[in-house]
Amino acid sequence: MPNESACPSAIDSSRIMATPGPLAQAWRRLNSNRLAVVSGVILTVIAVVSILGSTTSFVQRHDPAAQAYTDATGTNNTDRSPNRVNWLGTDGLGRDIWARMLQATFFSLRIGIGAEAVIVALGISLGLLAGLGGQRTDRIIVWITDLAFAFPDILMIILVRQVLLGRDWPILGAGSPQIPGVPSALLLTVIAISIVSWVTICRLVRGQILSLHGQEYVLAARAAGASPWRTLRVHMLPNAISPVIVAITFGIPRNIFAEASLAFIGLGVPPPFASLGSLMSDGRAHLQTNSLLVIWPALAVAMLMLCFTFLGDGLRDALDPRSRRQRRASIGLAPRHR
Amino acid sequence: MTSYVLRRVMLMAPLVVTMVTITFLLMHAIEGGPFDTDRPLPPATQQRLQERYGLDKPLLQQYGLYLFRLAQFDLGISFASDRPVRDVIGERMLPTVQLGLTAFVFAVICGVGLGTLSALNQNGAWDFAGVFIATVGSALPSFILAPLLVIAFVLRLHWFDVLGWEFGNYHKMTLPTIAAGVLPMAFLSRITRAALLDVLNQDYIRTARAKGLSEFRVVVRHASRNAMIPILTVAGLLFAHSLTGSFIVEQAFAIPGIGKEFIDSVLVRDYGVMMGLTVTYTLIYALMTLVVDVLYAVVDPRIRY
Repeated sequence: MPNESACPSAIDSSRIMATPGPLAQAWRRLNSNRLAVVSGVILTVIAVVSILGSTTSFVQRHDPAAQAYTDATGTNNTDRSPNRVNWLGTDGLGRDIWARMLQATFFSLRIGIGAEAVIVALGISLGLLAGLGGQRTDRIIVWITDLAFAFPDILMIILVRQVLLGRDWPILGAGSPQIPGVPSALLLTVIAISIVSWVTICRLVRGQILSLHGQEYVLAARAAGASPWRTLRVHMLPNAISPVIVAITFGIPRNIFAEASLAFIGLGVPPPFASLGSLMSDGRAHLQTNSLLVIWPALAVAMLMLCFTFLGDGLRDALDPRSRRQRRASIGLAPRHR
Repeated sequence: MTSYVLRRVMLMAPLVVTMVTITFLLMHAIEGGPFDTDRPLPPATQQRLQERYGLDKPLLQQYGLYLFRLAQFDLGISFASDRPVRDVIGERMLPTVQLGLTAFVFAVICGVGLGTLSALNQNGAWDFAGVFIATVGSALPSFILAPLLVIAFVLRLHWFDVLGWEFGNYHKMTLPTIAAGVLPMAFLSRITRAALLDVLNQDYIRTARAKGLSEFRVVVRHASRNAMIPILTVAGLLFAHSLTGSFIVEQAFAIPGIGKEFIDSVLVRDYGVMMGLTVTYTLIYALMTLVVDVLYAVVDPRIRY
């Protein structure tokens, strides 16, 4: 603890009175990791700015869809380099790139976080089912996860996306969003990505539950008469959750990455919407005239990926400092979305 | 060992059948058929086309027929080009495999080299540089790297060509190789560093040094063997990834490989090619996992099957 030398008496007295809980300790360890803190701050800023961008006119002073071939003084307004009015320049139709970037970042974050929410819900419930259900349930779920690992992710995502495209199923719908604020283009991408990616978390949870099942304190809880639900909630879940938190931090950028890859190969979200990937794939057509159109979203994606990676590394070390060395020897199985 | 490999090879058959079933279902669930055009074809023509490719039969029968033909290694006919799917895939496979192999070799040489350099200079300047490159590299997936490389080296510096692929022509090979190879390189270098550090801290390495062996001998003869196991796992999976091709790099540099072919086939509902490619992908993955598992036993004599 770096604080210890600075102010020993305060720390000591607090320790005598109450030892901080495991989460508080992890939080302290995370805070002493400078890279992770900086990444967390940057991510928060990006998220806040992109959310504000869709609600206020301070950060987003132009309409992202407004085309302006000439500005107020009548000079050409297309493909401008960064200036005071258009912070990041304008594109070939005179649209403000800063405004479009905000819109796209917000959309990409929504895809990343939305898909991860579905993945976590699916992964945890199926993982619990496999770990706690009977042997037959376990075998079926493991068989499904094995299959999903053998099937190249991007093939599956493309197929599922094409299957869902243009359908009028209960919640999808082609026209106005049937769930307010969730356009079908977003929902479709989220479903396609999460159908493929829940497997990792499911395996993780199953493994954790199986290994915790035989632990003495779990046995003791059961012997003391705790109900199965209480054993799960109080004794097993808190111990199983930290690898899941780490997996979530690495999962969000992977989803953003998956969507951006889709957009890059021409299967992205349709025009009224824009994600960072679709901005890049649009910009690629104008690489010779205005390369900024590609450079800005590329930098944004790289920034997001880097920050999530650092934050994930920091969280991993903070949540489980003991097995840090073991883990480092086996970091990262192969990347999944390519 | 032989019986283990044989059993694994036999298990590939049900895997392929399951994959074929899933793809078949999804493929037919996609709206529109292969012969839907903006201006509808005359019904008689439509009818004849359907008959020619066996699409007029009930789905179940089509499915059965496909499996039956697959058992004889017949992948059917591509609707888009009216040629056997096997020929189409074989032709498209070549640039993908060439690109994959070049990128893989690049990734292994640079990644393992960088990781070793880092591990041998733990916490030194080289280590910092290596870890920095690996971290930045893992945040630069090919779809970011490819356009940035094109902007820098083609549009500004005019060093290379933008499009296409020609084995042996470095003007066309350099950029796709880098774009496809940086991510696996970053992964390999992280793994190599971690694995080597782990081994270098063990007692038998201290013994080797105490015997007065040269540092080179200690690293190459004693440490590298045990560091191989995690590296091999990752490298095997990365190799499978490379062989199945990068959809993105092929798209970015207009390389006519199987990744691009798959996307095209989905867009025009070329059922034969879609199914053929799924089978190919599944087999490559299954074979690579098998090869990795066998290599384990070769590298680590404690593992027996």
